[in-house]
Amino acid sequence: MPVVDAASAWWLWPLALFVLAFFLGIIAVIAGVGGGVLFVPIVGSFFPFHLDFVRGAGLVLALAGTLAAAPSLLRSGLANLRLVLPLALAGSICSLAGAVIGLALPVEVVQTALGVLVLAVAALLWLVKGIGHEMDVESDELGEMLRLRGTFHDHAEDVHVDWRTRRTALGIAAFGGIGFLGGMFGLGAGFANVPALNLLMGAPFKVAVGTSGLVISVINSSAAWVYIGRGALLPIIAIPSILGVILGSHLGARLLRRLPVAAVRHTVIIVLALAGARALLRGLGIWI
Amino acid sequence: MDLKRDPQDIYARWLGAGAWLAFALSLLALFLYAGGVLAPFVPLERLPQLWGLPVERFREQTGAPTDWDWIGYLRYGDYVGLAAVCLFAVLSLVCYLRVLPAFLRHGERLQAALVAAQIVVLLAAASHLIPGAR
Repeated sequence: MPVVDAASAWWLWPLALFVLAFFLGIIAVIAGVGGGVLFVPIVGSFFPFHLDFVRGAGLVLALAGTLAAAPSLLRSGLANLRLVLPLALAGSICSLAGAVIGLALPVEVVQTALGVLVLAVAALLWLVKGIGHEMDVESDELGEMLRLRGTFHDHAEDVHVDWRTRRTALGIAAFGGIGFLGGMFGLGAGFANVPALNLLMGAPFKVAVGTSGLVISVINSSAAWVYIGRGALLPIIAIPSILGVILGSHLGARLLRRLPVAAVRHTVIIVLALAGARALLRGLGIWI
Repeated sequence: MDLKRDPQDIYARWLGAGAWLAFALSLLALFLYAGGVLAPFVPLERLPQLWGLPVERFREQTGAPTDWDWIGYLRYGDYVGLAAVCLFAVLSLVCYLRVLPAFLRHGERLQAALVAAQIVVLLAAASHLIPGAR
């Protein structure tokens, strides 16, 4: 039986990344979790790359996946640019700090913290079942000033939805914290964006998912430059991941209006729990 | 006409065109790099021994550049690939620059100020001026 040595079989890993990223792209858009939160723990735990490069690729993967889906979401009203402006500004400033600190910390610390964070995300997605569309949201003064309102047609229920947001200052502060975590761990942090937009600010779930993607694209653009400047972005890891996630998220954006969100969310929770447990055990030195 | 369009429509149009351009160039870059058309700075066969190292040790072992120094390495396949990836990171900046005058035309000064502030943050990040980012 022929033996394939590691040096000549280098291409197997980029190929595996492409396939993985394609499937992550589909489920990330539908579940509104961002590709990075699945990519970083899975690739960081089961692939041979150092976490520095995985986080760099995770940031640009989440960025590229959301960029591909964002134009159609903006046109359909499921993403709102005016809502993105204040949230992305707070998030991107904090994401720069997160990226700088994340690259300065020992890898075991980052791996352990990543495992804890991903397990917490899985638990959050499992526990928070109240996501939906809250009617009659009262806009606050800041929200009115920033024109944080919009309208879209919900094809699943065939209704026209007018929406507004509330608790604008709190929402902006929340996105600062989310941006910090995203920059530190190389995630899109859609898992936190969606509840912050939906539960905290009162945006309809579909608007929260669509707008979360656009926020990620701006926040990750800032943090990505820290990783690029440090040389922590390897094209052989990043490009197959980007190409895979773009193709997958394009398909995911089309399926968003038709697929049952609950079934996809359950799959994501299981994958997150497994990947988070692996990252935690690796960080603690229990299962290298 | 862009003059009458809502900034959100302009953003969507530019983002859509830019994302597909970056996608196509990434595909081309991967072909040039992994297909062996352009010689890489770090040989592909060496990567399995290097990609498991922390970034500082990777740079020590390979002499890979930091900051914007990689621009001088664009004759190598891996840095053509990096340039393609950078296009994704620069797209939001381009779109923000494009919608800034649109918000001003619509009389939305607060939104225009947020856009201008975001442009400053993105430029600071891209120029590696953030303390500790180097």
